[in-house]
Amino acid sequence: MLVKVMAFASFREILGRERELELKAGSTVGDLLDVLASTNRRFKEAAFEEPGQLREWVLLMINKKRIDPFQDLGAELHEGDEIAILPPVAGG
Amino acid sequence: MLNDLEKKRYSRQIRLFGEDGQAKLKKAGAFIAGAGGLGSVISIYMAAAGFGKIRIVDCDSVELSNLNRQVLHWSDDVGRSKARSAKDTLEGINPEIEVEALEETISKENIDQLLSGCSLIMDAMDNFSTRYILNKAALQKKIPLFHGAICGYQGQATTVIPGKTACLRCTFPRAPPVTTFPALGSTCGVIGSIQVTEAVKYVLGFGGLLENRLMLWDGLSCSMDEVACMRNPGCQDCSALIGDANYKQEMSK
Ligand SMILES: [Zn+2]
Repeated sequence: MLVKVMAFASFREILGRERELELKAGSTVGDLLDVLASTNRRFKEAAFEEPGQLREWVLLMINKKRIDPFQDLGAELHEGDEIAILPPVAGG
Repeated sequence: MLNDLEKKRYSRQIRLFGEDGQAKLKKAGAFIAGAGGLGSVISIYMAAAGFGKIRIVDCDSVELSNLNRQVLHWSDDVGRSKARSAKDTLEGINPEIEVEALEETISKENIDQLLSGCSLIMDAMDNFSTRYILNKAALQKKIPLFHGAICGYQGQATTVIPGKTACLRCTFPRAPPVTTFPALGSTCGVIGSIQVTEAVKYVLGFGGLLENRLMLWDGLSCSMDEVACMRNPGCQDCSALIGDANYKQEMSK
């Protein structure tokens, strides 16, 4: 199945603005993040605390709905889903 | 309501929203949390636009490395308190308004007192732990919080209306780490200007606000995006202080 990944702020510099990814049927958000991390070292360093553990402040949305990076990584993705990933900025 | 000098000073705005609108701004009191990069832009445009009362709070002194973006403070101000420097600049821009500048660190203990008499909270902080204090205070007092943040070429903004929208904690449940962030003054210009435009529309009661919308600015590619925010039922801040049931009522109205 094909899903769309949209990155914002500093993640956009690493992943590009948006890309389509072919995933196995039944893949989860966690699987998608693993694919991104295993193919992009800079993303892995920026977004993950340690392998498999996303940094707690990373914002993730599926079809514009926010999901919790601690609880919802097992959520199943579907053909055509749009996943947004971004880090909040904090400066003033 | 407006004297002759004010009518002249604000004549280009009065073309936009009339003397009634200008009088509404004159009655509004804004609390600006921080006199740094965002606080500079926010306070300068709010003062110039004629918000009747501005209370700006910052505990730091002006450093040379602030001057690339903190346009409230000038070279001669290095070493002075930011609050005092801010007061001088803002009163120079508009002597018709009341400017209070306080040299304080915002805390859970003093936020109530700092906000007294203000009906708008402008977020010009550089860290999320203080932003969460502003968020709770906005919820408790049921007054809007205009959020903005920047890093380098990038920025974000959203408007929190207690009882109606997602709160700051719903959108950003956990704080990113505190770092010495790179900062470009013109990025503060973009985001701070959006925050002030939001506050103007809120006070005047028209236009579309950044309600449940997180606006993302990327100066590097010169593009603006937005992502939807949603209230988190059970959010530790807005559920506790306003209650999930009150939001449901609001939504079914
Ligand atoms: Zn909330």
